[in-house]
Amino acid sequence: MTTEDISFTDFIASSIHDMKNSLNIQVHGLETIADACRARADTETLAGLGPIIHQAHRMNANLIQLLSLYKLGKSIYPMDIAEQSVADVIAETLLHNRSVMEFKGITMEVDCDEGCYWYFDRDLVTGILLNALNNAYNYTTDKIRIAAHIEGGFLQLRVEDNGRGYPDAMLQSDGVAANKGVNFSSGSTGLGFYFSSRVAQMHKNGARQGSLTIENGGAYGGGCFVVRLP
Amino acid sequence: MTFSLPQANTLIIDDFQGMRTMLRDFVRLMGVTRIDTASNGKEAISQLSANKYDIVICDYNLGPGANGQQVLEEAKLRNFVGVSTIWVMVTAEKTTDMVMGAAEVKPDDYLLKPINQVLLQSRLEKLIARKQSLGAIEAAIRAQDYSAAIHQCDQLLGARAVNPQEILRIKSDLLLTLEDYAAARALFESVLALRNVAWAKTGLGKVLFYSQDYAGAVQLFQQVLEENRMYMEASDWLAKTLDAMGNSAQAQQVLQDAVQLSPNSPIRQKALGDTAYRNGALDVAQAAFEKTIKISEFSPHKNPAVYARLARVFSDKDSPEEALNILKRSKTDFRYDSAAALQTAAAESLVYQKMGQVEKAEAAMLDAERLMEKLADKVSPEMAMEVATSLFKLGKKDKACGLLRDLVKNNHEDAELSRQIGAVFEGENMAEEGQTLIKASRNEVIDINNQGVMLAKQGDFQQAVKLLRTAAQQLPHSEVISVNLCGLLIGLMQQKGKTEDLVLETRELLGRVREMNPVNKKYHAYALALARLANDH
Repeated sequence: MTTEDISFTDFIASSIHDMKNSLNIQVHGLETIADACRARADTETLAGLGPIIHQAHRMNANLIQLLSLYKLGKSIYPMDIAEQSVADVIAETLLHNRSVMEFKGITMEVDCDEGCYWYFDRDLVTGILLNALNNAYNYTTDKIRIAAHIEGGFLQLRVEDNGRGYPDAMLQSDGVAANKGVNFSSGSTGLGFYFSSRVAQMHKNGARQGSLTIENGGAYGGGCFVVRLP
Repeated sequence: MTFSLPQANTLIIDDFQGMRTMLRDFVRLMGVTRIDTASNGKEAISQLSANKYDIVICDYNLGPGANGQQVLEEAKLRNFVGVSTIWVMVTAEKTTDMVMGAAEVKPDDYLLKPINQVLLQSRLEKLIARKQSLGAIEAAIRAQDYSAAIHQCDQLLGARAVNPQEILRIKSDLLLTLEDYAAARALFESVLALRNVAWAKTGLGKVLFYSQDYAGAVQLFQQVLEENRMYMEASDWLAKTLDAMGNSAQAQQVLQDAVQLSPNSPIRQKALGDTAYRNGALDVAQAAFEKTIKISEFSPHKNPAVYARLARVFSDKDSPEEALNILKRSKTDFRYDSAAALQTAAAESLVYQKMGQVEKAEAAMLDAERLMEKLADKVSPEMAMEVATSLFKLGKKDKACGLLRDLVKNNHEDAELSRQIGAVFEGENMAEEGQTLIKASRNEVIDINNQGVMLAKQGDFQQAVKLLRTAAQQLPHSEVISVNLCGLLIGLMQQKGKTEDLVLETRELLGRVREMNPVNKKYHAYALALARLANDH
């Protein structure tokens, strides 16, 4: 095979494919170990496993975001805006993260009508929710709430926690746009915000466009991550 | 048809041992006991041919050889998986063919890695429920009873089923198949009134295409692509419409842009090759045909016509050696396929003629003609046109014209085919002669039909049947002649009483009509009338 036969896109895709396999098996292995710990009531090891699995989830979220952004940037992402059951999409996102939330003793609450349907790209919006949950996991005390409502021709998706909320500086300076530098203490590169905001904007209906905002308050008075899709 | 998860006979296809084990553990934890595994496409196909599976969990990326999509296509084409089989693609990223491919080659669902057991279980349970709710529609489609399928759709829509858009989408496809363009248009417009969705806008474009409002169709397809240029279906239809408008240069450009974005569809690559070849863009045609052969190596779309076309391209480029090489390859790759042999022989004749080796050219043509006789019904219009082209090159103009004349007569209402036949004549610098021949052949068939109708109106069914019977013998592939003869036979029996022979003749004819076109509009009415006659004592 000559080098020109392999395009860079294929190369990235197959590398990410490979990394995702590894990650999948890694998480599965860790969860199997966790089950064994539970069986023999080894709470100490069990407590140590939660954060490790959480890191694996973050890595996965980053991979999804990088690959999607790469493809969106080259306009080769197969954007598939179709009618989706919002409750189903939220439920599946939670199934991704359930074990991690359990480790940390976080209570999850969902506020979404079963009959709520909306138009969006299922995988991209799942990516946004996974990122928001990974963030909330870091900042929450013990509660996270996902709420979905249709309001004024927009689907509003809110991920709220009961932590201290976003710092003033982020809120004032339009944190989403400003948070581009790497912050090693929080582990934030701004990738998640950039991805979520980009994806929200890719959702259009007529003249209206999706958006991402952050605020403090919500049902628990903590940080709120709000995506609006037309 | 319905089953619960633990009873499901399950196949897991993954090239990676670790993933295979993990997926097997997952389904085991769901209580599934019958689990087989395969590590590549070849193994998977052999398992699928030997067993009937309820659930197939397949990795998209299977290493060298076929990928998951190609395994799915082959399994569907060879009927290894039925309508009730749930096929889930597990993948690191979604691809266009997974979400935007044609319905018959799309998996039921895809799951992005990483996955865990609860996620997989939740998805499988939902898919089982969905299969159950759509089961009746799918069974009717499988039985080609499209009216019944539409009825099922309406029932589900009336019962406010889950995901009405999906059902509307299925219904719209059915309406297009049944050529009920007014109803299809109404459906698409009602969806678009609520929201601008790509599938409905593309659907409306198709309605305009079939109503021959090509300019309107082009505008809609272009709008869809402006909003989402990865919506390949719109791009394929745009190319098709431009071609129908005679704007093949722009059609070629659209296809070239499309294969840049989504290069791995053999059907699209072949369309590009064909269009470019017609435009005389030999380099583009060569690249497209070569790519088609490469990406369909492990696919059921592997097609001998592409080898024959590529040989023609090489021959036109004065590279006869390469042309013969590719034909040699076709002979090995399609060893036991007479249709392939026919196309190879026709192309060979052309190449030898160009090389000045007249004897070899004649011999190859003799082969082709022999194969055509042997294949009879199975000679597609495409093949016939290729043989005709080679005949022209050999200087056998009369034979070529005869072949094309028969082709027009057997399909006299098919405007697209007439256009293609016109293009064959153009290629021989006989555009005018071709148009005359096409027109005359069409009129001949129309005249016979009109005469039949006239005689029937005068009450002389006997003469009308006699006339159409002769025509049907000469034009066994003409759907219109066959179906009209059916109508006349029924009229004759209603007038003069039935005989066993006439009932049998009508029944056989109706069977042929259905084979030629499962959605022939008169078929059902005639079948019903015949059944009434047959049961009447």
